[in-house]
Amino acid sequence: MNLQVVYCSHQTADLGLRERLAFTPQRIPEAYAKLRERFPDSEWVLLSTCNRVEVYAAQEDEAAAPTHRAVAKFFADFHHVPLENFFGDLLEQTGPDVVRHLFQVAASLDSMVLGEPQIVSQVKQAYSLAQAHAAAGPLTNALFQRALNVAKRVRTETSLAEGRVSIASVAVSDFGQSIFDRFDDKTVLVIGAGEMAEETVRYLKDAGARSILITNRSAERAQHLAETWGGSVKPFERLDEWLAAADVIVSTTGADKPIVEVARFRRVRAATGEKPVFILDLGAPRDFEPAVRDIDDNVFLYCIDDLQAICDQNRRARTKEVERAMKIVDAEVQDFMHEVYHRATGPIIKRLREQWREVVEQETRRLFAKSPHLEQDRADIERTIELVVNKLLHPPLEALRDEAREGTPHGLMEALKRLFRL
Amino acid sequence: MQRVTVFCFLASYVVAFVLELSRMLGRSRISSLVAFGIGVAGLVAHTAYLFYRSQQTSLPPLLGSAHDWMLVLAWLLVVFYLFLTRIHPELAWGMFLLPLVIVFVATTYFMNQAPNTLVAAERAKHGWEMLHATVLVFGMAGTAVGFITGVMYLVQHRRLKTRHATHLGLEMPSLARLAQTNRWSTIIAFPLWTLGLVTGVALSFMKSSAGASVALRDPFVITVGVLWVLLAAVFVRLLSNRPSSAKHVVWLTLCACGFVLLTLIGLQILTKSHVLPETWHAGEIKSEIRNLKPEICNRLEVPS
Repeated sequence: MNLQVVYCSHQTADLGLRERLAFTPQRIPEAYAKLRERFPDSEWVLLSTCNRVEVYAAQEDEAAAPTHRAVAKFFADFHHVPLENFFGDLLEQTGPDVVRHLFQVAASLDSMVLGEPQIVSQVKQAYSLAQAHAAAGPLTNALFQRALNVAKRVRTETSLAEGRVSIASVAVSDFGQSIFDRFDDKTVLVIGAGEMAEETVRYLKDAGARSILITNRSAERAQHLAETWGGSVKPFERLDEWLAAADVIVSTTGADKPIVEVARFRRVRAATGEKPVFILDLGAPRDFEPAVRDIDDNVFLYCIDDLQAICDQNRRARTKEVERAMKIVDAEVQDFMHEVYHRATGPIIKRLREQWREVVEQETRRLFAKSPHLEQDRADIERTIELVVNKLLHPPLEALRDEAREGTPHGLMEALKRLFRL
Repeated sequence: MQRVTVFCFLASYVVAFVLELSRMLGRSRISSLVAFGIGVAGLVAHTAYLFYRSQQTSLPPLLGSAHDWMLVLAWLLVVFYLFLTRIHPELAWGMFLLPLVIVFVATTYFMNQAPNTLVAAERAKHGWEMLHATVLVFGMAGTAVGFITGVMYLVQHRRLKTRHATHLGLEMPSLARLAQTNRWSTIIAFPLWTLGLVTGVALSFMKSSAGASVALRDPFVITVGVLWVLLAAVFVRLLSNRPSSAKHVVWLTLCACGFVLLTLIGLQILTKSHVLPETWHAGEIKSEIRNLKPEICNRLEVPS
């Protein structure tokens, strides 16, 4: 039996190459059809995400395994990319290394953001697609089902996926949702229209925010953001008015000095009263004077450094969990490989048992035909013979099982075949 | 059932609380499940004990004695804790609710266990007494919830103001939710307290007309009256439209609820230790006992 993976990931290839080699959902059926046509004796699973493109293959007969170059050639032909442009970036692993690689990928140990949860569903989806296109088989089924179990174990037995690691998610989930219970009745004011503002608005929209006001010196950029997220553009000149209306303020201007000073925001608060206001100052340099947070008890102001510190802290906490996660992966790889090797000895064991049973049946039939008076003890005699057979078979089968811990016991299997004429 | 003692479920709640505290070391699904299981076991023992006491005194737990009444209050809070933990296992309700439960249960050691003579004297008709004890226990539960959510609000507010990340094991509801629960639990508790006080006064008149010497000068009644005035002031403040920050409101309810809880527990303990002069709530009023019929004295196992 052979396992093989040919892949490139964010660790081995740049985004440009990954994009050129990626399998889009629309082209996946075609890819499976061509793989089956080229390598009919193999099982296949394609895993294609923005961070990795991986092709898993498995064959019962090792001789049927395609070479690294043959799989790379498939990539080249399918995507119309010259082989020499990427062959060096396309890695290959075989045997237990494939199992370890997939388990690490599914457990998000190989992800760009350690512990991110999306990869498990991506692996699950890839496996389901392979099944739907009749590309997966018993070997890949066992491998992927185990990989999903390993991911679940790592997620529940370690803290690898705990704590948020992006600024926008920390801002909205750790702070915003600790202040407000709901966002659908809150007014969100976005000052500036940078990339960070867009990401934060996305999280706020996911949390239920509906009323979004966008104000920016450049109305064009503000209009783009408003169209994307369903907000309304407000004139920058009347900023105080929008500050007073807002419950959540996200500020990401490129101003070289704070645009909201203490005195200005104090005036705004005098008009609004002490309603809770959640301010995310994502500008560098800051858009809000730090002392704004001390105006009253209900001003919750966070700057990019506050949020970055928490992201780093969570990232460090996740890194500490890697060792524990790797121990789980190693144990699971060993267990899985042992099952695989042991499964390879199955046909030999079955044939050996069948052959011996035939001999026993022939000889007992002959014995009872020759000595009918033994018929009354038939049950005892048959049980005794069965015990003898089991005891005689035990040492070779035990040796086979022991040998299978380290790999497929080809030598021993061959010896058994010759010794017992299997 | 006779073997179930207060110590059994008190120990369960202490263990559940220690396990809840272990959240501080990081969230563990197993320890949360064990804490929940031990909490359920404690509740079962708690219920069995109340049932046994009820059979022993031939009175519903709420009317049995100050000891039983306080245990019913703790029981309500445990049910509240288990319900909240079941629907929101990630939130650290247990870390705040269980200490109060433990304090309530522990103080019952210092409270009167003898049935109230005036209640026990009447075998079947306990309608008014039941209403009085029930509304007060729910009023007290509302006050306790107001106190706990007040503490949680201040902890959460401090975390947000000092810009610390959510501790993985110490997740709490949002400030808005806590402020709302704090406000409504106090608002709901006040009418219950009022009804409790009114039924108490009505009861005292009924008892007086029946020949029992029940006086409104009872220190217990006077103190509850003072607490009612305090709660009334908070109630009016909560319903008024005067603008103020949620934190100020929380401080106000926290102080009021804390004071009410402390005073009432203290009163019950002082009643048992006879520091207070004779009170109708003591359960062993010598003057009342003197007036009781001999068969009632026998049932209550007190000398006539």
